[in-house]
Amino acid sequence: MFSRSALRSLAQDLRLTTPSAIPSAPLPQRVFLHQAASLRNAQPQSSTQSSSLNPDTPLSATPQAQDTQPEIQQGFKAPSGNPTTTPNTPADTFIPQTRNHIPIEKQPVPPTFDSPLKVTQSLMSRLPHLVGQTPHYIVAELHARPYLLTEGDHLRLPFLMPKVKPGDVLRFNRATALGSRDFTLKGTPHVDERLFECRVRVTGVESEPLRIKEKTKRRQRHVKKALSKHRYTVMRVMDVKVKTPDELLQEGTQVVEDAEDSPEIETRA
Amino acid sequence: MPVQALRTVTAARNGVGAFILQCKRLDFHYCDWAGSSRGMNEFLRQNLPAFAREHPQIEIRVAPRPRKHPIIRGHFVNGKDKTICVRNLEPSDILKQTLLLKDASGEKLKRTKKPVTSTNDSVRGIWSPYHGDLRGV
Amino acid sequence: MKRLQLHRWSSSVLSPRARTGSRVQQHLHSGVRHQSTASPLQSEASSQEEPFLEEAPVDEGLARHIRSIRFKRPEIQYPSPPVEAARSSAKLAALHARLYLPSRLPLETLARTLVDASADPNPHFNNESLVTLGHDLLTYYTSEHLLCTYPRLPLAVIFSSMYAYAGPKSLAAMAKEWGVEAATLPGGRLTQFRRIDPGAEVPGSAEKREPRQQMGRKIFYDNEYGDAPSGPVDRNAGVSAEQASSDFVRAVMGAIYLHAGRPAAKRFFEQHFLSRQLNISSLFSFSQPARDLNRLCARENFEQPVAKIISETGRRSRSPVFVIGIFSGQDKLGEGAGSSLFEGRERAAVAALKGWYLYSPLSVRVPSSMEEEGAAPWKPVHVDLGEVIV
Repeated sequence: MFSRSALRSLAQDLRLTTPSAIPSAPLPQRVFLHQAASLRNAQPQSSTQSSSLNPDTPLSATPQAQDTQPEIQQGFKAPSGNPTTTPNTPADTFIPQTRNHIPIEKQPVPPTFDSPLKVTQSLMSRLPHLVGQTPHYIVAELHARPYLLTEGDHLRLPFLMPKVKPGDVLRFNRATALGSRDFTLKGTPHVDERLFECRVRVTGVESEPLRIKEKTKRRQRHVKKALSKHRYTVMRVMDVKVKTPDELLQEGTQVVEDAEDSPEIETRA
Repeated sequence: MPVQALRTVTAARNGVGAFILQCKRLDFHYCDWAGSSRGMNEFLRQNLPAFAREHPQIEIRVAPRPRKHPIIRGHFVNGKDKTICVRNLEPSDILKQTLLLKDASGEKLKRTKKPVTSTNDSVRGIWSPYHGDLRGV
Repeated sequence: MKRLQLHRWSSSVLSPRARTGSRVQQHLHSGVRHQSTASPLQSEASSQEEPFLEEAPVDEGLARHIRSIRFKRPEIQYPSPPVEAARSSAKLAALHARLYLPSRLPLETLARTLVDASADPNPHFNNESLVTLGHDLLTYYTSEHLLCTYPRLPLAVIFSSMYAYAGPKSLAAMAKEWGVEAATLPGGRLTQFRRIDPGAEVPGSAEKREPRQQMGRKIFYDNEYGDAPSGPVDRNAGVSAEQASSDFVRAVMGAIYLHAGRPAAKRFFEQHFLSRQLNISSLFSFSQPARDLNRLCARENFEQPVAKIISETGRRSRSPVFVIGIFSGQDKLGEGAGSSLFEGRERAAVAALKGWYLYSPLSVRVPSSMEEEGAAPWKPVHVDLGEVIV
C-alpha cells in the first residue's frame, strides 16, 4: 500500500549519510555531486547521461546542493500520473528527480502478480454497466478499517501515517466493494486491485484540540489530569475509477468460467 | 422562457488536481542576547538553510525580536496564522515545531468523529420510504 | 567578472513578443536563490539603465520626471517594480514553487503577471497582453470541455457554467487560494493595481443594459458568460480587487502558454480549473418544466408524457406526500416527490429534463487532445439538436 515508504526511507538515508555542511561552490561542485549521487545509486552513469534523461529541463532546473534558482519540481508530470514517481522528495543535499537517481533496492516495488487476472464470464458481461454509470464509490480498507470514498472526498485517517508528507500520492489497493448507483461489485472478501484505481493525495497533518481527562481517586484531593492531543493524516481522494473491460483485456486478463467464490456485480433491487 | 440558469462559482478541492501547500510563510524571530534563543540561533544557522531548500514553496523570514522569547509564526493561505514559542528548545525540537506548522492547514483545530467528509451527493441515493416493498404494520 | 547585460535579456523576455526561455537564459536565471526578504542592494539596480527608455518611446515629460526622482528612491522610480527585483523576491520564488510552475517560466514574467494595467499603463510592463492570451485559452479549454462532456446542455446553462469555471469570481477565489496577496501600491511582489475608490461606480455596471432575453442575440453580441460586453474600461480610474486578481490568474495561464508551451498550459488548466467542483444540475432553473418536457417528447418522437402517481401517503392530512412518475409509453422518464400533485409532477418533469440535458457520453475526447503527439484518429463527438424551443 505504501509504495512511497521506500522512497521516504531513502530520503532519510541520504539525510543521515550526507553531511549537511557541503561547501557550496559553483559548477565543479555540482558535477561532483552528480557523480556522488550516481555512485550512491550504484548505477554507473555520468552526469551527462542523467541530464539528458529529460531534455525539456535545462541543467539548471535540477536543484542541487548549491543555492540555485527556486526549486521547481516536475510537479506537472508527477501528481496525476504514476504514484511511484515522487513530485518532491526531500534530501539534505540532493533531491532525486527521476527514477534513475534512486538506487534499485530503494525504489518502490511494483506489485508482482504471478498469474494474470482471472475474471469470470458473468462479471465481464456486467462490468460495462458498472463502468458506464457514474459516479463511483469505493469501500477501501486501510489497516482493516473500511472507508467509503468518492472522488474529491476529504479523508482524515484516525492515525498519523508515517513517512508521508504533504503532496504525496498513495494508491489504495484493497477494496471490499466498488459501486455506482445501481451496481455493486463485491469482493470475496477483497476486490482484485487490478480492477480499479483509487488514488489519494496527502494534504497535511491535522490534530484535535487538547483533551483533558480528569482522573480522580477516592478519598484523595489530588486530581490527575491526563492530556491527549493526537495527530492525524489528512488526505484527499483524487480519483475513483473502475477499469473498463477493454482496458482489462489489454492488460492480459483471462476470462474464465464462473466459480463459487468469484466476485459478483449485484444489481439493486 | 424555456430554461434559465443560475450563477455560482466552482468550489476548490485542493489536492484533487493540483496541490497547494497551505503554509505560505514562516517567520522566525530570535534574540541575539537572551539565553532562551540559544537553540533557535543554532537552528537558524544549522538547519534552516536545508529546510528552506527542501520547501521552496514557503517564504521564510528571519527577523530579530530583541529581549523576547524566540517564536515561529506560520502564515497560511486561508489568511490565518499560528504562533509557536520555542524558548529553550533544542534545534531538533524546533525543527519538529517547524514541520508541524508546515503540515498544518491553518484551520482551527476541531474534533471530528467521522473520518470521511464529502461534498458530493450520495452515490446510491437517499433511502425513501415510498419505494420498494411495503410492509404491513 | 564581466558585467552581465541584465537589462538586455530582461527586456527581451518582457517585450510584447515574448519568447520561450532558452537554455542560455535558464543559466542566467539560476543565479542565486534568495529566500530572504531583506531588501536587495539597490545601488547596483539603480546603476542599470532604465529598460523602457530604450524599449518604448515614452512621453518626454514623464521620462524627465522619472530621471529626477530616480536617485531619490529606487522603488518608486517606475510605476511597477524594476525587472531585476523579481530575482531577489522571496515571495515570487515561493509562489513559483507553490504553483509548480514550469522552470522555463522565469520569475520576471511571473512578476509581470502581477502588475495590473491600472498600476502601470506601459504595455511593456503590465500584464495586459498576457491577460488577453490567458483569457482566450481559458475560455477555449473550458468551452470545449463543457460542449464535449455535456453535448445537450442548454445555452443558458453553458453560459453560467462558463462563468462558474472561468468567471472573474472563481478566478479571484483561485488567486486567493494560491496565496497571492493584493497591494494597491507598486513595490511588493503582489498583485499591483490601483484600487477603485470605495463607493465609486464599478466600471461596466453603469452601462449595464437590460439583459437580452433571446439566446440567439446573446451568442452574437454578448461575451462568453452571456453578459453584455462592457465598453473600453478606463483603467486610470482603478479596478476592483476581484478584477485585478482574476486578471492575474489569466495572465499566469498566458505566461505558461508562452514559456512552456501548449501541453503545459493544458495540464495547468486541467489541474487547477477542471479539478474544481461544480454541480451542473444545480444550475438549471425551469419555469414550466411540464410544458418543456411535452415539447421535447414531441420533437424526439417519443410518446406523449403522462404523469402517474407511484405512491402517496396522507392525502387528507396536513403533510401529504405524492410520488409522481412521468412516463412516456412504458419508459419512466423521471420521478419526483411533492406535497401536492402539481408539485410532484413539476419535480418529476424537472428530473426528466435534467436527465435528458445532462447526458454525457463515455470516454469524452476534446478537440485540443488531437494536438498531442501520437493522438488516436479523431472520432466526431456527439452533436445534439439543442434545447427545446418553446
